[in-house]
Amino acid sequence: MRFLKYSAKRLALVVPQLLAVSIIVFFLVRLLPGDPAFLIAGQFATKERIADVRAQLGLDKPLYEQYLIYMRNVLHGDFGTSWRSSKPVVKDIAQRLPGTIELVVLSALLSILIGVPIGVLSAVRGKGLANKALFVYGMLAGSIPDFWLGLIFIFVFFSLLQWLPGPIGQLDPTVETPPTVTGMIVVDAALARDWEAFRSAVLHLALPVATLTVVYMSLIIKNVRSTVEEMIKSEFVEHARALGLSPLTRLRYALQNSLPPVVTVVGILVWFLLGGAVLVETVFAWGGLGQYAVEAVVNSDYAPLQAFVLLAAVFTMLVFLLVDLAYFMVDPRIRG
Amino acid sequence: MVTDLPADLPRPGRWRALAGGLAEELCNLFVFARSSPGFLFGLVVVVVTLFLALFGPLVAPYNPERALPGSGLLPPSLAHPMGTDVSGIDIFSRVISAPRVDLTIALVSTAIAFVGGVVLGVISGFFAGSRGFWRIASEGIMRAADVFQAFPVFVFALALVGFRGPGVSNVIIALAFLNIPFFLRVTRGAVLQVRERPFAEAARCVGNSELRVAFVHVMPNALTPALANISPGIGFSILLTSGLSFVGAGVPKPTPEWGSMIAIGAPNMMTGQWWTALFPGLALGITVLGYALVGDGLRYYLDPTKRR
Repeated sequence: MRFLKYSAKRLALVVPQLLAVSIIVFFLVRLLPGDPAFLIAGQFATKERIADVRAQLGLDKPLYEQYLIYMRNVLHGDFGTSWRSSKPVVKDIAQRLPGTIELVVLSALLSILIGVPIGVLSAVRGKGLANKALFVYGMLAGSIPDFWLGLIFIFVFFSLLQWLPGPIGQLDPTVETPPTVTGMIVVDAALARDWEAFRSAVLHLALPVATLTVVYMSLIIKNVRSTVEEMIKSEFVEHARALGLSPLTRLRYALQNSLPPVVTVVGILVWFLLGGAVLVETVFAWGGLGQYAVEAVVNSDYAPLQAFVLLAAVFTMLVFLLVDLAYFMVDPRIRG
Repeated sequence: MVTDLPADLPRPGRWRALAGGLAEELCNLFVFARSSPGFLFGLVVVVVTLFLALFGPLVAPYNPERALPGSGLLPPSLAHPMGTDVSGIDIFSRVISAPRVDLTIALVSTAIAFVGGVVLGVISGFFAGSRGFWRIASEGIMRAADVFQAFPVFVFALALVGFRGPGVSNVIIALAFLNIPFFLRVTRGAVLQVRERPFAEAARCVGNSELRVAFVHVMPNALTPALANISPGIGFSILLTSGLSFVGAGVPKPTPEWGSMIAIGAPNMMTGQWWTALFPGLALGITVLGYALVGDGLRYYLDPTKRR
């Protein structure tokens, strides 16, 4: 019951947030130096086309009306047309989104699966050489540019050792793409039992996922470590000790209560991964949404860029929403 | 006025340090640095990058923007300690010339973000829970910060620069804007504590206006977290700048800049010329690390309860 009440409250918060985000994204076009219609129509547009775009954007109408038109289009799945691919942006995005999701989700999962145990261990074990190494790793991971690490990986594992494929996207050009179901090639290959494609897809995923994981896992480790450390020292664990409960039980209490703050970091992790994916996709010619956005910036293709920013923000908001709900569910004090 | 208050009330500590005890402060800092190798390393990085920002292009052995005919992709040697890039420009000269643009962008954008973030942070912290116009301002600032931070930082930076067009000044504006919420949040947190202290009440009792209490009495005592955030903020800005330049949305080529150098070297990493991207990336990573360590050290140093 309390959970439902909380969920309703939290969901109600999303609406104004989404509105605010959409207003910001709407105004991005206003940042353009000069005439947006001219710039959006593209450098080679005819006068009629510019007039068309102007009418389509409703630039002659008052601002609030323009915003309403924009919102109506967005809600109908109309994000405009990319002048470069001359396809509707929504089609381009649908084609490229799965690749990015694959990258972000796998990196997040790996970061959690490896980072959480390491963080817990380092909190329990206290000081020592391994902890010093972890500290150094944390400092380095926060300072190393992810795109550079990707290039180093390419040099070592592709150019030097030739263990893994080079930065040529999600699949070997000689391998046939499995029939599209989810758009995520690994999943599609597994569904089609096409193990050759599956192998190729996994090998191509290895380096970009490793890059993102190495750089952003430190967030998880640091946070798990400090949270668990704090819980171990907390009064309720001390109380459990005074009652004569075993160390293992005390650790279980500490971990249970560490869960909520740790769940929150997962949201922050995804927030970071989305930004990192843009750069890492560029390095590996991944062909996902991030690379699409970069191409849009370089080619002054504004409709896709605007759509990407909106999607990224909405996606982050949804992740934070899920995280907040999960927080409620895993907190032993509220769960009830 | 401050001088009308009893002498035993806490004065803005940092101001006093500036007026009288600057030398003493530096001395303390030096003693502290000796006990903290990370902080010392960071200080060295800061000094070296500042020096290079001023004199880098002057001490560079070659012109950082001119190709040497017939010497493309030379591996590191005595003549070219970091090798040459694909068009035959000395990489070492470019690496040590890069702080000029990287650091200028980072320093200017962080300075703007500091001022903006502190002012907004004081308003939002000092007037949190008050009534009327200032309450709306306080709430509005926080909600705006929330919404802007819903955008992943790099995505938003890319969008801002994408719509404004690449170039140094647009990168500065974008980064300043993106850094404001960080300064805003730490300042707000400090102000929320400081405003409860008796001296703030006393300042109010002797007839200061609310705004004057906020900015003249509370703010100077709530600056520490924001000050400690300057150095990592600079590092963060350098990282973002290089990312933007890497994808071609930041500093235009051929200006020496670490991120764009990594981009130039990227194709060569596949064919085995590791030096093209390795060295600019190392310089970038070490710089960001150095500024982060200085920030960590300062946080300890400025917090007497944590200092040994």
